[in-house]
Amino acid sequence: MKTITKLTMASAIVALMGTAAYAEDFNWRQFEGTEITWAYDIHPYADAVVAYLDEFEELTGIKVTAELYPDDTYWGKLNIQLSTGSPDWDVVGTGIQPAWDVTPAGQLAGLRGLIEDPNMTSPSYDYEDFFPALRAAWTWDVAEEEIIANPDGEIWGIPHAFENMQLMYRTDILERLGVEPPSTLPELTIACEQIRAADPNMTPMAVRGVRFWSSIHTAPISIAQSYGVRDFVGTGDAMDTALDSAESIRFHKDYVAMIQACAPDSWANDNWYQVVDGLSTGTTAMAVDANMFGFWNNIEGSSDAAGKIAFAPPLTAPDNDEFASNIWIWSLAINGASEKKGAAWYFMQWATSKEMNVRGATDGKLVNPPRSSAWQAQEWIEYANQPEFNNFYDTFNTVQEKTSLLFTPRYGFGAAMNAWAVAMQEMVGGADVEESLSNLAEEIRDEL
Amino acid sequence: MARNKVKSGNMFLLITLLPAILILGGFIVLFLWGFYQSLTDMRFGRSRVDFEGIENYARLVGRSRFWESVSATAIYAFSAVICESVLGLAIAKLFNTKAVLAQWLRPAILLPLVLPPLSVALMWTTMMNPETGVMNYFLSFVGIENFPWTAKAETAMFAIVFIDVWTFTPFFALIIFAGLRGITPDIIEGARMNGAKAWGIFWRVELPMVLPYILLAALFRIIDSLNQFDIIFGTTQGGPGNATDVLSVSAYFTAFQNLYFGRGAAIMIVNWLMVLLTAMVVVKLWQYTRKRVGGYA
Repeated sequence: MKTITKLTMASAIVALMGTAAYAEDFNWRQFEGTEITWAYDIHPYADAVVAYLDEFEELTGIKVTAELYPDDTYWGKLNIQLSTGSPDWDVVGTGIQPAWDVTPAGQLAGLRGLIEDPNMTSPSYDYEDFFPALRAAWTWDVAEEEIIANPDGEIWGIPHAFENMQLMYRTDILERLGVEPPSTLPELTIACEQIRAADPNMTPMAVRGVRFWSSIHTAPISIAQSYGVRDFVGTGDAMDTALDSAESIRFHKDYVAMIQACAPDSWANDNWYQVVDGLSTGTTAMAVDANMFGFWNNIEGSSDAAGKIAFAPPLTAPDNDEFASNIWIWSLAINGASEKKGAAWYFMQWATSKEMNVRGATDGKLVNPPRSSAWQAQEWIEYANQPEFNNFYDTFNTVQEKTSLLFTPRYGFGAAMNAWAVAMQEMVGGADVEESLSNLAEEIRDEL
Repeated sequence: MARNKVKSGNMFLLITLLPAILILGGFIVLFLWGFYQSLTDMRFGRSRVDFEGIENYARLVGRSRFWESVSATAIYAFSAVICESVLGLAIAKLFNTKAVLAQWLRPAILLPLVLPPLSVALMWTTMMNPETGVMNYFLSFVGIENFPWTAKAETAMFAIVFIDVWTFTPFFALIIFAGLRGITPDIIEGARMNGAKAWGIFWRVELPMVLPYILLAALFRIIDSLNQFDIIFGTTQGGPGNATDVLSVSAYFTAFQNLYFGRGAAIMIVNWLMVLLTAMVVVKLWQYTRKRVGGYA
C-alpha cells in the first residue's frame, strides 16, 4: 500500500513538473480545437509518445489521432499517401533515406521557417540541442530530381529517436564457448568457426539479409566504410558509384565469407525480427544491428537475454582500427499536403521536446534519445548505467563519435541500394564477387 | 401505345443495367489509365511526368532480369497448376469412393482454401526455416538434413510452388470431384460390360469426361498463379537474388520500392498480356474437350 502511495505521489510530481516545463511565455493554445492525424510504425518509439498524448491534448487543445501500422504495411502506405497528395496524414514517421526520394516533389513540408518563427516555436525548444550529425543529416536543399547538400538548407524532419549500428553479443554464450568478441571482419569469421565447432546448434552471428536496402544500412555500409568503400563518389553530373572499386571488391569478398561462415541458412529471408529473435532467445551468439535492440532485450523481464547482451563498435577491416557506424533516425515530418501544418508542428515540437526525450528514454522506449541534453540528464545516465544494460552507455558514447549517415544523399537512393541488397544475396549464393559488383555498378550507372 | 411500352421497357432495362455498365466502364478506364502510365516516365517523388512512348517496354525487353522474371512467372504458374491438377485428380478419385478416409478428408481439405494467402506464406516461412522449421525435422526422418527451402536460390522456386500446391490443390479436387459425381453409373456399367478394367474405365471414360472440369479449374488457377503476389512476397520477396522475382513482385519493387511507377506499370501490362494469352489458350482447350464429350461440362 505504501509503495502504491509513493508511486502515485511520484507520478503526480513528475506530471506537475512536466506541465510546468511547458508553462512558459508561449501560446500553446494557438491551434486549439484542431484535429490532426499522426501516422507511425508500430514501434516502442510510437508507444513512448502515445503514453502521454492526453497531456499534449490538455496542453494545446489539439486532438491527435494516432494511426499505427506494422512496419511492412506502413512504408507502402506512406509512399501512397505522400505521392497522391492526400492531406489525411498530417504528421508522419519517416527516416532520412526515404525522405531523399520524396522531398524533391515537395511531399514533405520544410520546417526551417517554423523552427525559426518565435510565434510557432517555444523558446525552450532548442533545436541546436539535437546531435549535430542528426541535424546535418536532415538538412538539404532540393531541385528537380536532385538533393543538394547545404548545411544551411531546408530542414525536413526532426529526429525522434535513433539507432546506431553496433556489434552485440551474448556474454553468457561467448564465455561458455571461450570466444572473445572480435573487432575485425576476418576475426569475426574465425570466431564463427570456433563457435560452430564448439556448439553446432548455435548460430554464430546474425545480420539482416532480405533484398531491401534495410539489409545494407546496418552491417554492410558500416563495415564497408572501414575498407574505404563509398557508395558514390563525385557530385552532380560527375557522380559515379564506387561499388565496383578495388576496395569494394575486397570488402565484399570478406563480407561474403563472413556470411557463409557465420549466418544462419535462413539469412536471405532474415529481417531485423529474426536477427533480434536469435539474440534474445539464445540461438544466436552475436549480431550487428541497431544498438537499441540489445538495450530493449536487456531490460529485466523482457526476454531470456535480459542483462546478457553486451555491446562493441562495428567491425573493421583487418588493417584499419577506425570503425564507422551508420545511423537510422526515426523522425517526425509534416506531410507537404497537410492542411493543418501549424497544429502538426505543435505536435512534433511537443513530441521531440527535451522533456519528452528524457521521459521516453527513462521509460525504456525512446532509445537512443537524439538530444545531447538527454545524455547529460541525471535520470537517463542513472537508468542507462544500471548493471542489466552492461556496457550500453559507454559503448554508445564511444561509437557516437564515429557515427554518421554513411549513404550519399541522392534522389533514387532506394533503387540503387535495393539493387545492392539483391547483388549481396547473389554473391552469398555463390555468384562471382567481381562480376556481381560490375553488374551492380552498371545497373546503378544506368540510372545516374 | 405499343411503341411507348417498348420505349419504357428499354429505359427500365437501361436503368437496371446502368450500375453494371458504370462499374465495367470504371474498370476499363482504370486499365487504360494504367496503360497510359506505362508509357510515361512517372516516378514517385517527382512532379514532372513525360510521355515516353514504348521506352519502358524497350528497356524491359533489353534486360536479362526481365526475361528471368518472365521465366520465373511461367515456371511458377505452370508447375503449380500441373501439380495441382494431378494431385487434385487423385484426391477427387479418392473422394469418389466410399472409403472412410474420404469421408474424413472431404471437409478437412477445405482448410487451406479459407486461409488468407499471406497468412499461408507466413506460416510456411516459419515451418520452412532451415534451422528451426518443422519441415526439416520431418525430412530428417528420411535422412535429409538442412534442406534450405526458401533460403537458397536453387530450392526457393520449389518451395514456393510447394506452398501454392498445398494451398490450391483442394480447389482442383473439389471441381474434379463434382465432375466425377456427374458421371452416371450407367456409363461406367456400360464400359464394364464392354470388358473395360478399372484402369481402362479411368483412362478412356472418366478422364476424358472430367477433362473439361480440370481445364476449367486450371483456367481459374493459371490466371491467379500468373498474378501470384502474396505467397511469393510473404516468403522470399522475390529472392534469393532474383530466383523467384516473378513479374508481379518485380512490378511491386519497381513501382513501390524503387519508385519507378511508369516502369512498374509496364511490367504489370506485360503480366496482364501473359495472363490473357495463356487464358485464351486454356479456354480454347476447354471448348475443344467440352465438344469432344458432347457438352458434358
